[in-house]
Amino acid sequence: MSSLTQRQRMSRLDVKISPYLYIAPFFILFALVGLFPLLYTFVVSLFDWHLLKGQGDFVGLANFTAILEDRFFWNSIFNTFSIFLLSAIPQLIAALVIAAVLDANIRAKTFWRMAVLLPYVVTPVAVSIIFSNLFGDDYGLINNLLQNFGLDPVAWHRDTFASHFAIATMVNWRWTGYNALILLAAMQAVPRELHESAAIDGAGAVRRFMSITIPSIRPTMIFVIITATIGGLQIFAEPRLFDPATAGGVGGSHRQFQTTVLYLWEMAFFRQNFGEAAAIAWLLFLIIVVIGFINFMLTRRIATGESAGPRRMFLRRRRRPREKQADKTLTTPGTIAEDVKL
Amino acid sequence: MKISRGTTAAVVAGAAAFALIATGCSSEAGADGEDIELTITTFGTFGYDDLYAQYEEENPGITINATNIDTGGNARTDAFTKLAAGSGLSDIVAVEEGWLGAIQEVSDQFVDLRDFGADDIKDRWVDWKLAQATDADGRIIGYGTDIGPTGLCYNGQLFEAAGMPSDREAVAELFGGDDATWERYFELGKQYYDATGKAWFDHSGFVWNSIVNQLDEGYYTADGELNVEGNAELKEAFLELSEAAQYGLSADQAAWDWGGGKAFVDGTFATFVCPGWMLGVVQGQVEAGGGDASTGWDFADVFPGGAGNWGGAFLTVPTTSDHQEEAAKLAAWLTAPEQQVAQFEAAGTFPSTLEAQEELAANPEPNEFFNDAPVGSILASRAEGVVAQFKGPDDSLIQENVFGPALRSIDEGTKNGEEAWDEAISLLNELVEQ
Repeated sequence: MSSLTQRQRMSRLDVKISPYLYIAPFFILFALVGLFPLLYTFVVSLFDWHLLKGQGDFVGLANFTAILEDRFFWNSIFNTFSIFLLSAIPQLIAALVIAAVLDANIRAKTFWRMAVLLPYVVTPVAVSIIFSNLFGDDYGLINNLLQNFGLDPVAWHRDTFASHFAIATMVNWRWTGYNALILLAAMQAVPRELHESAAIDGAGAVRRFMSITIPSIRPTMIFVIITATIGGLQIFAEPRLFDPATAGGVGGSHRQFQTTVLYLWEMAFFRQNFGEAAAIAWLLFLIIVVIGFINFMLTRRIATGESAGPRRMFLRRRRRPREKQADKTLTTPGTIAEDVKL
Repeated sequence: MKISRGTTAAVVAGAAAFALIATGCSSEAGADGEDIELTITTFGTFGYDDLYAQYEEENPGITINATNIDTGGNARTDAFTKLAAGSGLSDIVAVEEGWLGAIQEVSDQFVDLRDFGADDIKDRWVDWKLAQATDADGRIIGYGTDIGPTGLCYNGQLFEAAGMPSDREAVAELFGGDDATWERYFELGKQYYDATGKAWFDHSGFVWNSIVNQLDEGYYTADGELNVEGNAELKEAFLELSEAAQYGLSADQAAWDWGGGKAFVDGTFATFVCPGWMLGVVQGQVEAGGGDASTGWDFADVFPGGAGNWGGAFLTVPTTSDHQEEAAKLAAWLTAPEQQVAQFEAAGTFPSTLEAQEELAANPEPNEFFNDAPVGSILASRAEGVVAQFKGPDDSLIQENVFGPALRSIDEGTKNGEEAWDEAISLLNELVEQ
């Protein structure tokens, strides 16, 4: 060791430390704007904390129990999930179909690709204002059209399901194209030979889409579903702006479309109870983690259970030498299961 | 040992940083010809733009950077967020009467304007306006801008079509002149509804606000105790209003939306409660809905239940301001009688200073939009007999989140008066800490 020169020592240090320095900016920023607020919110949730008057007594988990017993919290959870399901499912199906169409050999590709991304460029606030106009109860475009055809107007703001549908429409309009482009990028990476050989074997377009395209883009599907889950469960701007009348953050005259983040907002800035608002934030965080994990597991299962994608062929090929060994001794289901999990 | 040294170092570093900031500020605030930028946050229609330009011209070296937030409700959120964060407030923050109670709870975060000469000018304002801006320790934390004496907006064309008088004086008399009551207002509404099949007022929430603001004690007693549950006077008024709304007098409109103003234009409702500052809102809504002066809105010197004040604002200087002295000076200038008259002309906000009120009363200029109504002198007459009501810390929460949904239940026809009152009481117990 002592024979190393200064230069060599520096170079060794460089090898060891530099990689950490390169990734440091992300982790420092994350600690500052991600981890610290997360932990600080948890600290706040343990106290009686008034928005303006500040920190009060330590109350342990009392804020959490108060929120879990609060009917408005569960109402907000119901609304959030209802809007989430109404938006995420149609949105992903539509995005998949649009991506498949764009993946086909069509004219003016760039134009179509830019066109589907256009709604994403518009800010949610502008989207909400336009859609609030469409979905107005008395003067909205849609109700005017319905009445022209002699149909009953829909109470877009009063009826729980109708309001959820309206808000989900705004979300879908904005995010479908974005997700479609991400899925399209993944589809373009699927080897054409797979499609060609399947076509030669007589597989139709639908069969190829289900058995080759979807399993092949599984990692991207997982990404899209997880980000849609996180975004969908944190929905705020759309329900907030769908209701211009209440300054109180109630989300409809009787909380018909008050989502959890909207309820958090009401708790923090109208009821000025920062402690309970922080508890809501943490509960929502935990719910998102759980739902995100469930979606992750589901996505894996659907795509693997469906059929043999290229990834599975790869696994099978790799497993072969080990299988031969196993034949000689004992077939252990554990190893196979582990491989599949990979 | 090690720890204490670290702490000491941190304290020293912090103090040094603070000293740097402090000296940085004092040199900036010095009158050695350096430019000072003052920030100010207002809301709704404040009518200050021309005044800013005038002040900048008269005071070289001062630049005013103004922000106007669309509604008082959003301005409240903005101010509360920044107060909670401990930074970000403008040098001057406009505070609305409805949430002044919450601000008073943390009045130590606002500058005592007596340090900057408030005692010399405090006789400007009507006494109750000054009292509202004074905290429990006698500190003056705000300069009053406008007050909200309330008159009756009505649509003359709709009145005529329903066979009612449309002339301003005749309408005032019809409603009962100085003895106008809510009972009479609802009675006329029923006549109108029977004649036309149309609503009398836009939604129950605003009518309710007007009624509550007229009481000696509203949601709180003068001592600051909650005063809703078991308040017979309040409940009686609530039931009276709900009976009227159930008859069909409420158009069940979404406030601050009104179908993009169209409800003001297409004859959906014939009357509207109008505090001074609301006149600008009405004009804005009518214009947004495609109407103009010919739509027929007028303003009468009468109000059911007598004199009432709804709203009004104050200019405050937060302690976080780097230019407290300059900010206090600008706030004092903006709220001086002369500027309040200019503000009234620009936005219809009725002055809170005696001199400006007298000037408007003596000089009735016709307002073209409201069928040439002498708006200034009408408001001056409506301001007579107004008494301030104590506003508690959760006043605006009770107004919006407790009585808001209950009144919507009535307007939507899903609950009767008793049921809606019970809804309000249960919401009160769930939402308001007591």
